[in-house]
Amino acid sequence: MKTYELQDVPQPNLIENIFPYSLPPLIKFEGKIHETIDGKTVEFDPNEVKTRDIHITDTTFRDGQQARPPYKKEQMVKLYEMLSRLGGPNGVIRQSEFFLYTKNDRETIDACRNLNLKFPEITGWIRANKGDFRLVKEMGLKETGMLTSSSDYHIFHKQNQTRKQAMDQYVEVVEAALEAGIRPRCHLEDITRADLPGFVFPFVQRLERLTEKLPDNMKVKIRLCDTMGFGLSYPNAAEPRSIPKLIWRLRNECGVTPDRLEWHGHNDFHKVHINAASAWIYGLNALNGTLFGFGERCGNPPLEGAIIEYIALKGDLCGINLPVITEMAQYYEKEIGTHLAPNYPFVGKDFNTTRAGIHAGGLRKFEQIYNIFDTTTLLNRPPRVSITDKSGTDGVALWVNDFLGLKGEERLSVMKVAKIQRWVMDQYEIEGRMSSITDEELEEQVKINLPEYYKKHHRN
Amino acid sequence: MTRQEIAERVIKVTARELRRNPAEIRESDQFAMELGADSLKSIELVAAFEEEFNLNLVEEEALKVQSVGGAIDFFDKIINKK
Repeated sequence: MKTYELQDVPQPNLIENIFPYSLPPLIKFEGKIHETIDGKTVEFDPNEVKTRDIHITDTTFRDGQQARPPYKKEQMVKLYEMLSRLGGPNGVIRQSEFFLYTKNDRETIDACRNLNLKFPEITGWIRANKGDFRLVKEMGLKETGMLTSSSDYHIFHKQNQTRKQAMDQYVEVVEAALEAGIRPRCHLEDITRADLPGFVFPFVQRLERLTEKLPDNMKVKIRLCDTMGFGLSYPNAAEPRSIPKLIWRLRNECGVTPDRLEWHGHNDFHKVHINAASAWIYGLNALNGTLFGFGERCGNPPLEGAIIEYIALKGDLCGINLPVITEMAQYYEKEIGTHLAPNYPFVGKDFNTTRAGIHAGGLRKFEQIYNIFDTTTLLNRPPRVSITDKSGTDGVALWVNDFLGLKGEERLSVMKVAKIQRWVMDQYEIEGRMSSITDEELEEQVKINLPEYYKKHHRN
Repeated sequence: MTRQEIAERVIKVTARELRRNPAEIRESDQFAMELGADSLKSIELVAAFEEEFNLNLVEEEALKVQSVGGAIDFFDKIINKK
């Protein structure tokens, strides 16, 4: 057994090479990852993700819209513009896919294109039939996704086809796209429940043969659709659920390059974000997500979560404009009328709000103790405290100092806010209150108990 | 201000805030253990001392004081700059 001796250091070790605070905590790897495939050990280098051109593709207006009332055209144009600002000039948010079926769909694409934004590139989504393909041509898009379901659940029980009939139909539409100079992106639906060697790999190899002589920008892209959220990122999980094995075989046995592989997940088993991030690490480049994870049933990989993950993996903002995430959340709440759960990471009303007095005490002494990163600078969201009978005098002091904008030595001590805390406790102990104290009530208490500070520091 | 004067004022404030008979308060009494001050009451007591002596105390130092005698010494040191 290895013995560890206490190192009683004079200064704290805040491990700032991993927790810089000015950025989300960084993700570092210390070695290779090993996976057993066909009885042999294969190796993945997770550090490769630092240099590979990983990026995010957006499906807010396609899968994200399938699970909610339709967005208005103006809303989609506004969100598209915000996606562009969020992803920044390097195209971290590289593409966004749109439906093409209704007049509103097509007018929206035109309005977005009129913004003349480089990123995200607008792509389409169609079912794999030639009639639908006409829509892509008419809209003049350079790339379209097409539904190419890959499990026997879909092929036999939904499409009433044999595997050969399905594959021939898919290939026919792919060929039509290539002939028209449109890059096809095959969405292999239900791939984590498919017969991989019996259908998926033969289909992908056929697609590869079809485009092997074409320039790189016309080679078929493969979207791995974990339609029911069955995918697993655990090392040595069995196929077809294993994400590492799936990516390894597509790259090494089918010859698909990482720039043409994309992960599209679902959250039915609470694995949506980690599966998508793991797919990046195990060797594909595109992570397909939606704003705030809205999507069919339990949703898709949350795009803003992928953005934070991207920064954590790359160790740099890479041109990402993070405060736009907060702007988008406010737009959903105020303009679209969609409520985001208060505890939803990075954007929920309470994501960095503490109610516990002991946490509030920590926040007052050193913000980093209970704040995940510098949310004030990076997200325009200073850590907050919600006042209840559990938040303590520390909580009230934090609220009052934040409200009055007092910093450093100007900050009021717990003694100065003791009367307000007594009023708070009386609310619960004498009045029998069951709800949190509102900001308006606290402001009134500041006026009453700290009138000189209110007059001097409060900005209307 | 003499230590005796400070002691009288500390005991007067303590008795008022913690609702005790001043004659029964001893220098050895602990605010929490013997005089029953919970965490909020302890803060209110320090706030009352601030008002009594017209001082702005450093929170971390002031809240470390746990007994009546400790408080008398604490204010004696500050007021008389020992």
